[in-house]
Amino acid sequence: MSVVAHLPRRAQSLTEEEAESPPAMELTGRHRMSEDERTVAATIFDEFHADPRYREFVLGCLNCGECTTGCPAARFYDFSPREMLQIAATGDATTLWDALQEKIWACCQCYTCNMRCRFGNDIAGIISVMRELSVIHGLESTRRTLAPFGRSLTLLMTVGTQVSSDMIQPDFFRDWGPFATGSDQVWQVTPEVMRKAIPLDVLQTTRSSWEVSVQTSLELFRIYEETGVLDMLRGLDPDLTEMLVDIVEERREEFAEARERFSSELAGQRGPVATFTG
Amino acid sequence: MNPVLVLGGGPAGLSAAGELASLGAPTILVEREGYLGGNPKRWHYSLLAPDLRPTEEVMDPLLGKIEGNSRIELRLSTTLAKAEPVEKGYRVTLRSAGALEERDVSSVIVATGFDHFDSRRKFEYGYGRYPDVLDFKEIEIMLHEDRVLRPSDGKPPKRMAWILCVGSRDVQVGNPWCCRMGCVVSIKQAVEVRRKHPEIDAYVYYMDIRTYGLWEDLYWKSMQEYGVKFVRGRIGQITLAEGGSRLMATGEDTILSRPTEVPFDMIILASGMEPSAGTKEVATLFGLSVGPEGFLTPRISDLNPVDSGVPGLFFAGAATGPKAIPDAITEGMGAALRAFQYARD
Ligand code: SF4
Ligand code: SF4
Ligand code: SF4
Repeated sequence: MSVVAHLPRRAQSLTEEEAESPPAMELTGRHRMSEDERTVAATIFDEFHADPRYREFVLGCLNCGECTTGCPAARFYDFSPREMLQIAATGDATTLWDALQEKIWACCQCYTCNMRCRFGNDIAGIISVMRELSVIHGLESTRRTLAPFGRSLTLLMTVGTQVSSDMIQPDFFRDWGPFATGSDQVWQVTPEVMRKAIPLDVLQTTRSSWEVSVQTSLELFRIYEETGVLDMLRGLDPDLTEMLVDIVEERREEFAEARERFSSELAGQRGPVATFTG
Repeated sequence: MNPVLVLGGGPAGLSAAGELASLGAPTILVEREGYLGGNPKRWHYSLLAPDLRPTEEVMDPLLGKIEGNSRIELRLSTTLAKAEPVEKGYRVTLRSAGALEERDVSSVIVATGFDHFDSRRKFEYGYGRYPDVLDFKEIEIMLHEDRVLRPSDGKPPKRMAWILCVGSRDVQVGNPWCCRMGCVVSIKQAVEVRRKHPEIDAYVYYMDIRTYGLWEDLYWKSMQEYGVKFVRGRIGQITLAEGGSRLMATGEDTILSRPTEVPFDMIILASGMEPSAGTKEVATLFGLSVGPEGFLTPRISDLNPVDSGVPGLFFAGAATGPKAIPDAITEGMGAALRAFQYARD
């Protein structure tokens, strides 16, 4: 089940049956919070506002809705970046808590909203701060929401990407492709240009977009370790984390062996090989 | 008395020069274009908001005071090349058709005005790319000549939209200020369309309607009497629809909190006001301080909006910020009085 399955579809209204049995996860206003939840919500609220990024990302809002216009998530779900920014700017502990339960996960972090925002808000950024908090506090809803994404998480943690080019549906992104425009100049991307810009095998298959050098993936993992991302993930999903650590350990050994082989082959021929301590 | 130099032949400059002449002061009126009248003339403004008065009724009397006036030396296609302060006033160098000429003037009125925002910079609206996306620069002349037709195929539109605040209130293009006139002018245009062509549907997309003071009346009337429809929320992008024959406007209706996608035959962008190229040049030539917006800053704008703070130098009109025509005319009068007093004393 995907994260978005929880969210009511925008285009269709709820059937009577659906209305009577609310989705597995309670949405804004319907959920009576326990005393414990209230305490966590208050802590999250304080941490959210104390985060140095908060003042940098949330500047103010004209409620113009342009962020929502380009938002792929808003097209399909009861979600909008404008709403997220409003909750960040004016919401209280309960509204923030409600958003954290589910809505924040509808965003695909494409940053279109930021490009559009005439106030200069970093909406995608503030959503990711919200996500961080929900992960750090190991919210039950977050655990449940992220559970089906083990595969994506594994890819993200080991390769750094989980989007592939065949996921792009032209009809939903009218401003992409042949009608893409650059800042001042108007230009068109012809298929010829596209073929030159993007390697043919990437245009034809998704597999190659997940190919990454061992060294890069190890560097990436080191970043996750150093910045505490791995610890965050451990709190949320210890099993997955252990699995990832195993994968990476194995790669590190392989890499060390390969480097060993390589440098003995090169010994005496060239200067020292660049050292990497992944 | 050395003449007073008025820079700019738009409403503010015309008003200033006319007043100076009637006070008996010799005046040089410098205009970089080959004609007088500024933006209203350049873009053939149709009716003026809020009274729906033809622009000519305002511009013609202003122009009438200038033409053939023996006290006014009219210098078209001329720019200011240099300005040096002297004991009283300035020694200025005027450039016309490559020739330079030095003149001593007793004081200077800067009425260099604004330029309409170049809507191509808001590229997601496709202005300059889709022929049926227009801005204030094109729609006014269409209304003026009563030929509201789609440039793409010459057919009359069935449904039109106005998008407010294009190039205003927007840090993405570096223009955080409000243009002050875009709302009322858009509403006026929609009224002009509906008055003559009630079969055309008119929608205005807004985040705020700023028809301040008595202008509010036209806003109400536009709904009550002319059936203009207002949607709260902005269009964020325009693409082609129906095989390229129509425009698709995608936005959010922020009252209903849902994304909208509506096809239109023509879309008008309410292109805002920026300090004109001439205003920027003058700021450099006189070493004047400009605000973060690039407009000239009066010494104490609340006290005297025409006082530059520099002896013998005065401001009038949109060079100091977005301004409606009557305000520009009033400032022209104020600046004329102050310049005259300075020159005389
Ligand atoms: S970053 Fe998220 S909220 Fe912003 S436009 Fe993309 S999906 Fe929508
Ligand atoms: S684009 Fe920016 S100013 Fe407009 S609604 Fe979204 S967050 Fe607010
Ligand atoms: S006057 Fe109206 S259109 Fe112009 S910037 Fe202000 S609110 Fe926007």
